[in-house]
Amino acid sequence: MRPMKKNEMRTGAKALVESLEKAGTEVLFGYPGGQALDIFNCLPEAKFQFVLGRHEQGCAHMADGYARATGRPGVCLVTSGPGATNTITGLATANVDGIPMVVITGQVPLSLIGTDAFQEADMTGIARAVSKHCFLVQSADEIPETVAEAFYIATHGKPGPVVIDIPKNCQQGLTAAQYPERVSLRAYHPESTATTTQMNRLAKLINEARRPVLYAGGGVISAGAAKDVAALAHRAQIPVATTLMGLGSFDERDPLALGLAGMHGSAAANWAIRDADLILAFGVRFSDRVTAKISEYAKKANLVHVDCDPASLNKNVPADLGIVADVKDVLTTVLSRVKSAEHKEWLARIDGWRKERPMAYKPMHKEVIMPQSVMESIDRATDGKALLVTDVGQHQMWAAQYFRHNLPRHFLSSGGMGTMGFGIPAAIGAQFAKPNATVVAICGDGGAQMTFEEVVVAVEHKLPVTFVVINNECLGMVRQWQELFYSKRYSGSILSAKGRLANEHIEDDLKYDYLPDFCRLAEAHGAKAYRVIDPAKLDATIAKAVKSNETCVVEVVVEPRANVYPMIPGGRSVSEMVFD
Amino acid sequence: MNEHIHRLNCYVENKPGVLARIVGLISGRGYNIQTLNVGPTEDGTVSRMRIDVLATDKVIEQVILQLRNQVNVIEVTSRRM
Repeated sequence: MRPMKKNEMRTGAKALVESLEKAGTEVLFGYPGGQALDIFNCLPEAKFQFVLGRHEQGCAHMADGYARATGRPGVCLVTSGPGATNTITGLATANVDGIPMVVITGQVPLSLIGTDAFQEADMTGIARAVSKHCFLVQSADEIPETVAEAFYIATHGKPGPVVIDIPKNCQQGLTAAQYPERVSLRAYHPESTATTTQMNRLAKLINEARRPVLYAGGGVISAGAAKDVAALAHRAQIPVATTLMGLGSFDERDPLALGLAGMHGSAAANWAIRDADLILAFGVRFSDRVTAKISEYAKKANLVHVDCDPASLNKNVPADLGIVADVKDVLTTVLSRVKSAEHKEWLARIDGWRKERPMAYKPMHKEVIMPQSVMESIDRATDGKALLVTDVGQHQMWAAQYFRHNLPRHFLSSGGMGTMGFGIPAAIGAQFAKPNATVVAICGDGGAQMTFEEVVVAVEHKLPVTFVVINNECLGMVRQWQELFYSKRYSGSILSAKGRLANEHIEDDLKYDYLPDFCRLAEAHGAKAYRVIDPAKLDATIAKAVKSNETCVVEVVVEPRANVYPMIPGGRSVSEMVFD
Repeated sequence: MNEHIHRLNCYVENKPGVLARIVGLISGRGYNIQTLNVGPTEDGTVSRMRIDVLATDKVIEQVILQLRNQVNVIEVTSRRM
């Protein structure tokens, strides 16, 4: 630290804002409160934009959406106690998906910590299990260095959210501490590179494989390696399957694309993995939603697992060749050693599966919109260029299945945590990050109600986001599981007045069979509202909404009994896929 | 797989919250810590933790990798007792 000069002294709060500027913050999402007031008092002079959310969970998901759309850390500022605890779901969501975020929380003064002071919560204690790292600041002098370290940790190694808890007295205290030019952490050195032996073995495996499959996950997108995956796939004619987090890392319009793998993935992707002799897994973590029955997973294959996170390797599936390294480095290095190949027989076999079991659905009632068709309609209206943000549930899987994903950072979804309520605020964060993108949020009627209040943020900032609410009057994925595995007892999953079990029965003298009225709700929030019931009007309405420069909410009333297929029931193997 | 007592030796930065993070990684998986010793090393900025846990080899392997991922953890070694 340089020696103090009197004229360089400023409050910790001011030093925080300066440090956030130096760290490259463009937008700060937040919500004020008592223990963050000193920081808020410095925001009018800040060089970055401040966006006021309407709930701290919304602010956290906005920062997350910003980070997913750009790769740069999303930044969020809230107060202590309930403000801080409301960000926990947002932290957990970002943590499991490896999304860089810096969340700053106010805290009661150090002298009051542990006294059950008003709005006191042990934030670092609570956040520890759902964040990459937490800091509890002890003095104003620590603030600039802590901010620099937090941004470093959030973006190095496997990215993740970092919490900085700042007691009010540290915000008020004076400091001359400066933002460090370089960050050097004593114990954290996540960078790792592949050895020559590993690279030689990888090249040999690829060159000798007869039935190879590339399997790309979110790590490919966070490493910026989508082009490198395509280059390798094309050089050696290797088909590419993706995880949910990896959608967009490979153009699904490419003949080598297998689409989504896993529980609701395509038959071609799952069966190719089943019968492959080489799996090249890049930036994945082999989630239980992808592997199905582990003992049956890719039994015939040599499994290569490349990831920046050493703890991901051999966690769920043992790797024959595990490489802890930057995914992009490995792909670019191996490319020059890979011979071109054709794999004609293998690709023909995969093509057979594509024809035998294409991703398809049948209308159930002629006059009722099938939810899958909404995704195809969005695809048509945006020529596949939409920056899709989903909520969680059936619509999320249909959005994964029925949109031709072709751009990285254009499918933002809570993959690991499965956080309902993510879609609306994350779409807003993404639109702040990418003002010219056509951002379309796809939500169910359940998840939309969890964070609908954030729609006002889109409206007041004139963001042209289109929020599509797929309304099937129930919690569709829960209902689907109850239909298939719980003897059709729809406990707690029916949102309309009709169709509820006796213990949830509500008097049928209600004015409405279903609440809320999403169009009136949208209008009350200042958004343009559309409701589509007629399949013939779907395309025109979606096109009108996505092309307008206004914030739109499009409620699409869909077939309530539609299920997500194909499906591998829990604990089964990919050979036991169910198609309808 | 059988459970054994594993002794983890962790060298960590001597900062608040580090012990809680390490203990949380183990207890959060439902494993009991049988013995825990924490003390300073000759370098006052580094602490040494000795943790005995009853768990399978596979669980311990995963715990060690996750411990090494922690920002304040300098080194982890283990030995089956």
